[in-house]
Amino acid sequence: MILYRRKSNTQKRSDVRFRNEPYHIINIIFAGVIVIIFVYSGFFSPEKNNYPVVCIHEKLTGEPCLSCGLSHSFSLILRGRLSEAYKWNQYGMRIFLFFVAQLIFRLDFLRLSINSPANRKQLIIYDSIASGIVFIIAFWPFITGIIQGF
Amino acid sequence: MEDIKNNNGQNLGIAALITAIVTFVLSVIPCVGLIAMIPGIIAIVLASVGLSQAARTNSPKGLMIAGLIIAIIASMISVSQVFIAGKIARNADKWPNEIQNIVRDVQEEIKKDLKDANVSIKIESNGEKIEINTGTKNTDKEQKLEELEGVNTSKDDTLQKKK
Repeated sequence: MILYRRKSNTQKRSDVRFRNEPYHIINIIFAGVIVIIFVYSGFFSPEKNNYPVVCIHEKLTGEPCLSCGLSHSFSLILRGRLSEAYKWNQYGMRIFLFFVAQLIFRLDFLRLSINSPANRKQLIIYDSIASGIVFIIAFWPFITGIIQGF
Repeated sequence: MEDIKNNNGQNLGIAALITAIVTFVLSVIPCVGLIAMIPGIIAIVLASVGLSQAARTNSPKGLMIAGLIIAIIASMISVSQVFIAGKIARNADKWPNEIQNIVRDVQEEIKKDLKDANVSIKIESNGEKIEINTGTKNTDKEQKLEELEGVNTSKDDTLQKKK
């Protein structure tokens, strides 16, 4: 009985520590956001063309922008129609892979952070660097578009 | 003596950081870059409130500062999308003329390529085959036409006056 109580207290303490750690909360929320993006892409179909997000850029300028067709592209990638996805947006695949990589990063770094709390600071630094590099590689066409815009 | 850390404003800091990072990703995507201004402002407000709370209770400010910096950068990128859209709209007037010029160039190139080309027409009907080979010049075409008709039309096609 005493043993059970002790175990239960340790469990409670680790639960509290887990919930109070901002890095864990941030990882969980981001993983959730990425899953929502995938659900959105899977839910809306390219055949029905019922996407709620419209391109503000195109509405203002009348010209399609670099990211036009990204939702269609994501939906088609999820359905395995890669060549069609490429036709909708040539950068769709790299942005999609960014989100896939981020989902893996969030879950993996969360696991590592729980398993080795002593190295958490190091993990956060590695996570920031890796995420930054992946972000720059994936969004490079859009970043250059912004720079060229000036 | 144990140093007691106060966690006031931490939740606001987490919310600010998450909103700021989402804003940053959105601001880079041209389609939704302009909308990213809204979560950007929300992130700045959350980070500022969190910072003021943390300053009052002497609690850690790292999350709030990170959230504030990312939110400010993301909002600046988002605002920059307005200027980019404006520039594209201005350039859009020039594009139709450029497209027309490209189409004209392509037409001229095709005409130039066809100038010395040979035309070959094959017709198959009920087992009969006819093959006509000619150049694209008008003189070549006239000559071929005469050959096909089998008579010299230039002499016989004028009307004779009745006496």
